[in-house]
Amino acid sequence: MADFTASVYQNEFLPDGGTDVHAIVTVNCTGAGAAGQSGSGDAGEIIIVDTSGSMGRDGVQAAAYAAQTALDQILDGVWFAVISGNDRAQLAFPPSSEPVMVKMDPYTRQAAKDAVSRFYADGGTAMGTWLRLASRVFATVPSLSQKHAILLTDGENQHETPEALTQAIESVTGQFQCDTRGVGVAWQVDEVRRIAQALLGTVDIIPAPDQLAAEFSKLIQNAMSRGVAQADLRVWAPQGAEVLFVRQVAPTVEDLTSRRTAINPLTGSYPTGSWGDESRDYHVAIRLAARAIGQEQLAARVQLVIGDQTVAQGLVKALWSADEALTTRISPEVAHYTGQTELAQAIQDGLAAKAAGDTATATTKLGRAVQLAAATGNEEATTRLRKVVDIDDQETGTVRLKRTVEKADEMALDTASTKTTRVKK
Amino acid sequence: MDVAMTSTTETVCPSCGGPVSETDRFCEACGAELTPATTPSSTALDTDTEPTIEITAATVEEVGPCKSCGGVVGADGYCETCGVKAAKLRDHFEEQPAPWVAGVCDRGIRHSRNEDAMAIAADAEPGSRALLVVCDGVSSSLDSDVASLAAARAACEVLQAGHAQGLGTESSRGSAIAARLKAAADAASDAVLDNTSPDSPNPASCTFVAAVLEDGLLVAGNVGDSRAYWFPDEAEPVALTVDDSWAAELIATGVSREEAESGPHAHAITRWLGKDAPDHTPRTTTLHVTGPGWLVVCSDGLWNYCSEAAPLADLVRQTAAGCDGEPKATASALVDWANAQGGQDNITVALARI
Repeated sequence: MADFTASVYQNEFLPDGGTDVHAIVTVNCTGAGAAGQSGSGDAGEIIIVDTSGSMGRDGVQAAAYAAQTALDQILDGVWFAVISGNDRAQLAFPPSSEPVMVKMDPYTRQAAKDAVSRFYADGGTAMGTWLRLASRVFATVPSLSQKHAILLTDGENQHETPEALTQAIESVTGQFQCDTRGVGVAWQVDEVRRIAQALLGTVDIIPAPDQLAAEFSKLIQNAMSRGVAQADLRVWAPQGAEVLFVRQVAPTVEDLTSRRTAINPLTGSYPTGSWGDESRDYHVAIRLAARAIGQEQLAARVQLVIGDQTVAQGLVKALWSADEALTTRISPEVAHYTGQTELAQAIQDGLAAKAAGDTATATTKLGRAVQLAAATGNEEATTRLRKVVDIDDQETGTVRLKRTVEKADEMALDTASTKTTRVKK
Repeated sequence: MDVAMTSTTETVCPSCGGPVSETDRFCEACGAELTPATTPSSTALDTDTEPTIEITAATVEEVGPCKSCGGVVGADGYCETCGVKAAKLRDHFEEQPAPWVAGVCDRGIRHSRNEDAMAIAADAEPGSRALLVVCDGVSSSLDSDVASLAAARAACEVLQAGHAQGLGTESSRGSAIAARLKAAADAASDAVLDNTSPDSPNPASCTFVAAVLEDGLLVAGNVGDSRAYWFPDEAEPVALTVDDSWAAELIATGVSREEAESGPHAHAITRWLGKDAPDHTPRTTTLHVTGPGWLVVCSDGLWNYCSEAAPLADLVRQTAAGCDGEPKATASALVDWANAQGGQDNITVALARI
């Protein structure tokens, strides 16, 4: 049985009249076990591969090989299917005109590999249709408590409107989780990131087709190691208080604030998807009515809940004090993740400005990103930023945009913008 | 309690702890009257006016509904509606065994626990008999909140058990009460030891101060820096105790009180109750009460902000005047005053209006 713990990092002391409480809550999971083996339901896995004409013969072959490698990693007993997508979605395996899934065993694994080897490149790209089919396929197996998909694309979503994609994303949100990958440099980071964020997954670039197999293998291994099918973060705040935001801040920045569903007037629930043996950090900000010096109150109860069972709880406190030595301290964890969140935004804003030809804004934003990456010790971000800008002064964030930038480097900076580093203890 | 008292009276004197036989009417050692006095006096103490809050080790962790909004208090100790931290009974309690005697014991503002404790008892008739005990747990040691409460209650029980009534001379009655104070300190010390884990690296310890008023005689004794004062309405205020503290030793050598009590070791005490205590015999003072006044027993949470007897007497008189002379309201107001000064320490104020 998985074991969860929650730790709270904050400065609970507020000055006279202070109202805003910030805390980092670290939730740690151990003993998660393997997907579909916890006894609380079955696991399902769908591999969605772009087979549009732009993939070309070599691209589709590489994708087919990657899908076969992924099939090898799916545990026996896990329900699965393979979808091939272009401007419409087809169930490539199991071979059926109706949505259906089968359990993995040596026979179905081989049959699926054979089906995948018959992929060919043709048609356009309409990812919304792929997502809708995946949702229908998952729905055929009522025993599934854990539903995960990986989606591979190589191009823009040209064959449906952005609104159609948005509607499709909305209709499947909460139905399954989806990690998304873009191969090459012809796809749109924003478009694919939207899918991943809504479906509690990750987004990344795979620059060359020969890297696909290793990436797919890793993604499935991750999914298979998530023995906790579904958990929610619950945040209680006192009557009259306002939850300013709830963000996941590690391993990546994801704003959860708008994903709240009310449990009761004081408690909101935020989906966190499945869990393996891992640790995630959440930044919770609460606005309270100020109390008198010396008073103490709870600002939030932050719980991880599986079903209706609370498996970990952290208490965020507020204590009003006249002692400036106490109230002026900033929690290093809160400061760190506040910086990392701004870093992600600065990178995305900078790249968007650069794409729009606004060199001045791009330089300012990416300069700020360089400064924040240095200040928070995010060396990976610094390395990626160096491929897009020349850094004159890290501390002041003085940079110049590089004249020539590899498109893949720019996309890698974009997709990895939300990745954070942990606080150095 | 009755069983314990009976067995006690059969073997040792309840006042001084000295050996007595069943046939003795008076203690050979201290002169206290034995068997008949104990039961009536404790009955009188039990039939008093207002119910007192029962504070025991078992109830210290209990919490009622939220005092701020009336909501349910969660298992984590915070209100499930407004989030206010539920006050533990241990953090603030008030007692009033008789209309003329009351005490308030409060956590203060800065400390996270209330390690002060008090136990008080009184007969119903104003000015007749009152017992006030205050113990201040030493915050650098473990479980001092539990130990101090046990100590105060144990001492108060001993003081209640041996009422030396109807003895001849005032001086023999005075020495009998003084002997009972020593026995009470012994009981308090035992209670601290009983609440100290044998392998504790930092054994619980606390101060001790008790004041006994009986038939016009006032006897006070202390170990450590908790104090007793007598503030007569028509005479000079009197400090009944001398602190066992570093500051008091400095004062004895001629350093001014103000300087000594603001020094770096101002709060270092030289005697206390506890496993590592060198000696816990209280130093006692006896006084004949001739007119009306306030008997005040308090911890340093109060006197830190007003140490000299004269200004403290003014403070108590003014505060009492603002409360129509009602002891519990006055004690509460004095605690509020100390909190308004910063509430740096736990605060206990026990009063008797004589």
